[in-house]
Amino acid sequence: MSLRDRLRGLRRLLERAPDREVDEELRFHLEERVRDYVARGMDEDAARRAAFERLGDLDGVRDDCVRLLTAERRARRGRSWWDDLRQDARHGVRSALRTPLLTGMAVAILALGTGANAAVFGVVKSALLDALPYRDGGRLLRLWAASEDGSEERAPLTAGALADLSARVHAFEETAAFYPTPYDVSLTRPDGPHVLMATRADPALFDVLGVRPEIGRIFTLEEVEAYTPVAVLDWSTWRTEFDADPEVVGRTIQVDRQPYVVVGVLPRSFVGPTEPADLWLGSSLRRWADDPERARTSRWFAGVARLRPGVSVADARREVAAVAAELAREHPESDAGWSARVVPIRRAMVGDARLPLLILMASAGLVLLIACANLAGAMLARTSSRRRELASRVALGAGRGRLARQLLTESALLAGAGVAGGLAIAILALAAARRTTAGVLPPWVDLHLDGGVLAVMALVAVAVTMAVGLAPALSASRTDVQGALRGAVGGAGEAPGGSRLRGILLSTQIALSLGLLASAGLLARSLWAMGTTPLGYDPHGVLTVSVKGPVPARDADRRRFFDALAEAARALPGVSAVATTDALPTPDMPRAELGVPGAMRGNGALTAAIATVSDDYFETLGIPVRQGRAFDTREEDADAPAVIVAEGLARRLWPQEDAVGARVRLATSGAERSATVVGVVADVRADPTLRSATATVYVSRRQDALRSSRVYLLRTAGEPAALVRPFRRALTALDPTVPMADVGTLEGAVARRYDGLRLPALLVGAFALLALLLTSMGVYALFANLVASRERELAVRMALGATPGAVAVLVVARGALWLGLGLAGGGVGVVLAGRALRALLFEVSPLDPAALLVAAAVLVASAGLALLTPIRRTTRAAFRSVVR
Amino acid sequence: MFARDAGLLQGTLELLVLKTLSWGPMHGYGIASWIERTTGDVLRVEEGSLYPALYRMTRKGWLESEWGTSENNRRAKFYTLTAEGRRQLDEQTSGWERLASAVSHAVRTTEAPEWAR
Repeated sequence: MSLRDRLRGLRRLLERAPDREVDEELRFHLEERVRDYVARGMDEDAARRAAFERLGDLDGVRDDCVRLLTAERRARRGRSWWDDLRQDARHGVRSALRTPLLTGMAVAILALGTGANAAVFGVVKSALLDALPYRDGGRLLRLWAASEDGSEERAPLTAGALADLSARVHAFEETAAFYPTPYDVSLTRPDGPHVLMATRADPALFDVLGVRPEIGRIFTLEEVEAYTPVAVLDWSTWRTEFDADPEVVGRTIQVDRQPYVVVGVLPRSFVGPTEPADLWLGSSLRRWADDPERARTSRWFAGVARLRPGVSVADARREVAAVAAELAREHPESDAGWSARVVPIRRAMVGDARLPLLILMASAGLVLLIACANLAGAMLARTSSRRRELASRVALGAGRGRLARQLLTESALLAGAGVAGGLAIAILALAAARRTTAGVLPPWVDLHLDGGVLAVMALVAVAVTMAVGLAPALSASRTDVQGALRGAVGGAGEAPGGSRLRGILLSTQIALSLGLLASAGLLARSLWAMGTTPLGYDPHGVLTVSVKGPVPARDADRRRFFDALAEAARALPGVSAVATTDALPTPDMPRAELGVPGAMRGNGALTAAIATVSDDYFETLGIPVRQGRAFDTREEDADAPAVIVAEGLARRLWPQEDAVGARVRLATSGAERSATVVGVVADVRADPTLRSATATVYVSRRQDALRSSRVYLLRTAGEPAALVRPFRRALTALDPTVPMADVGTLEGAVARRYDGLRLPALLVGAFALLALLLTSMGVYALFANLVASRERELAVRMALGATPGAVAVLVVARGALWLGLGLAGGGVGVVLAGRALRALLFEVSPLDPAALLVAAAVLVASAGLALLTPIRRTTRAAFRSVVR
Repeated sequence: MFARDAGLLQGTLELLVLKTLSWGPMHGYGIASWIERTTGDVLRVEEGSLYPALYRMTRKGWLESEWGTSENNRRAKFYTLTAEGRRQLDEQTSGWERLASAVSHAVRTTEAPEWAR
C-alpha cells in the first residue's frame, strides 16, 4: 500500500459513518467468497446463496461490528468529556423516565428535603448570622440586673447602678440608658386620636448603637435636660401617620395633648434594642443618677454598652460582676442581693427563638440525611439489578471509571432536579413564614431568599449527589464481570457486599428517624402539658381592650371616666363581669420590689410582678381568694395603702406567720410606700411556658392612678368578639376623643405565648412524619429485595415442607439485625436529642419513657406494615411456582 | 474441534488471526482463506465470528486497521499487527502449545486409572 493510499484511507476512515464502513467491508468479503465459488465452478446464484449462508447471521454480525467499531472509534478519538457528559445525561434521563413513579418520588423527596433545609437555613441565618442594623453590632452588649437568688435574670437597673457601672467598668467604651418597655401615648390626628408606643432614651443611645437618623437629627442632652419637648419618629410611623412628609422636621405634634416638635426620623432598617417603639423621647440618666433619693430606687432602666476595642465579653463580664459586688457593699439597702449581667446584644434580641431555630435546622438536616440514605439505597438496588448490563458493558471495553462517571451523572441529574424543586419550595416556604412568624422571630429578620441561601443549596446539591451516587458508582466499578455475566447470583438479587451497605444505610435511617420521632413526641408532650396545666385563672370567654384615659386630666377626673366606662360595660348585654387592670397576666407585667420592714436589708427584698386592679378583678378572672379579702371601697382611704399578694409570694415573705395584716414596703417606678396586706390569692402562671407561678402583688386601682391607660376585661358566656362594637359605642358615648387599642381575647394573649414553641413543634412533627415515611419505604425496599434475591431458595424450602410462617421468620430474621442496630443507634440519638431539647421541655424529662416508647413503637409498627407485602409474597401460591 | 464443520473456540480464533497477520497486513477475507489453507481445511472459520473478533482485537489494541486496495483493485479494510499484538501472539502460542501437549499426553497415555483395573 502506498503512502497516499494510507493517507487517503485514513481520511476516509475518519469521515465515514460506521455502518457504511462495516457494510463495505462485509460486502467485499462476500464478493470475494462468491468469486472464489464461481472460480471453482458454481453458478453465480448458487455461489451467492452459499456465500451468504456461510457468513451466517448477516444482520447480527453487522450490528455487532457496527457497535464495536463505534466504540472503538470513540475510544480512539478520545471523545471530549463534554460529549460523554451529554451522552451520560441523555442516558440517565431515558433510564429515569423508564420508571416515572420512582423517579418522581425521588425528586419530590429531594425537593422537600432541600427546600425545607434552604428555608430553615435562610431564617436561621437571618436571625443568628446576619449583620445587625448597628455599627459593629458584635461589640454591643445589653446590661441587665440579676437577682442573686435566681428569681430574676433580666431585670432593669437603677439609675445609680447604671451610672456607676458606666463609670467603673473599663471594658465599656461608652454606655447609654433607655426605657425598655414602651408605653402608649395618644397622638392627636384630624380623624381622631391614634395610639402610639413611645419610649424614652438617652440621646447617647443612638451614638452607642451607631445609628444615624434618616432625616433631621436626634435630640441632644441639653434639650433633654432643659425639658424641651422634642421627639424622634420611627420610620414606619413617619410613613403611616405623616404620609412620609419630607417637611416633617420642625412640625409640632400633639402627644397626650402636649406639643412636641419633631426633630428627626430614624432610618428604615432601625430596630431598637427594646420592644418596637413608634416615638422616641429624651431621657437623662444623669438627672436621675444625681438625685440622691431616686438614684437607687429608680429600677426601670435598661442599658446598652459598647466594648472597648481589644476587650472580650468575658473580660467585661468579670468586671461587671466585680463592680456589682462593690455596689452591693456600698448601697446595701438597695443593691444587696443584686448582681449585673452582660449579654451580647444579638443573643439578647434573638432571645428565646435561638434554641427552637437551631433545633429546626437540625431536624431539617436530619430529614435530608434520611432522604439521601433512602435514595442511596434505592440507587444501590438499581445498580445491582443492572449488574448484567453493566458487566457486559465492561466486557465490551467500557472503562469502570466511565461507568462510575455515568452513574454519578445520573445521580447528579436527580440531585439537580430535586434542588430545582427545592428552590421553588423554599421560596414558597419563606413567603408563608413571612406571614406567620411575625412576633415569634427577632424583628430584623428578613425572610427572603438571598445569595447565602442559594450558595448553601448548591453545596447541598453537590453533597447529595455524592451521597446518593457514590455508593452505587463504587459498587459498579467493583462488579465481578464474569460472575455477573454468568448470572452467578440467582434471581434479581444482589451481591452480598451491596446488601450489607444497604443494610447499614437502613440502620442509619432508622436511627435518625427514631431521634426525630422522639423529639417530636417530647415537644408535643411538652406543649400538651403546657396547655393543660392550669394557669390559675380562667382565660376563656374574656375580651380584652386597652383604653387610654383622657389627657391631660386630673387623677380624679380620669378615675371617674374609667369608672363610668366600667359601669357602661357592665350594662352591655351578654357581659357577666367586668374588671380592669393595668397589665394582663403576661411576662411583660411591670415589676416592683417588695421588702419586709425590719427584716435584714437586701436579703428580705424580692422582685415581683405588680398589677393595679379593680375590685372585681379576682372574681372576673376566677382567681380564688385564699385568705383575707379582695379590694373594695375601703381602699378609698388614701392613708391606708393596701396590697394583695399571691400565695407563693406570701409563703416566701412570711414563712411562719399569717400574711394578712403584715406590713410590706413596696417600691415601683416613681413611688415607694408602705402598705398592709389585706388578702392572699391563688398563684397565677403569667408565663405559660414556665412551670412556676409568677410572684405577683396586686394594688387597688383606687390607690394607684399613675398609669394613663387601663385594660378592660369583659367576661361573657358567648363570643368575646361580639362585644367589641357595643363596647366601642359605649366608649364613644362617654368621650369620642379617647382611643381604643389592643382589642383581643385573654385566650389569644395566652396562646401567643405558645407560638414560639408551637410552630417549631409542628414543624419538627412534620419532619418526623416525613422521616417515618421515608424509612418505611426503605424498609419495604430492602425486604422486597431480600425476598426477591432468595426467591428460589425460599421456594425450594417451602416445596420441601417449610411452613409459610417459618419462611417469613427466615426473611425477617435477616433484616431484623439491621432493624435492631438502627433502634440501638437511635437510642443514642434520642439521648443526645433530649439533652438539646431540655431547655424547651415543660414538665417533661428528656428521657421521658412514654414519648420514647411511643416513638419506637410507631417506628416498629410502620416497619412492620412495610414488611407485610414482601412477606405475603413468600406465602402466595404463585410463589411456589417459581420452583419448576 | 478437530472434526469437519466444527466451530472454533474464540481464543483459538484470535491466535490464528494473530498468526496470520504476523506475515503482514491482510483483509478479513484473506485471513479466513489463509487459515483454511494452512490447516488443510481442517478448520473452517466461522465467518460470523471472524469480523467481530477482528473488531474486538482492534479495540484491545492488538490490531490496527486501514483501508486500502486489494490485489484485484477493490477497496478493502486491511488489518496490521501492533507491538502489543505481537506480544499476545507469543504468549498465546506458548499457552496453546502447553495445552496441546498436555491434552496429547492425556489422550495417548496407556496407563489405566485405578477404578478401571
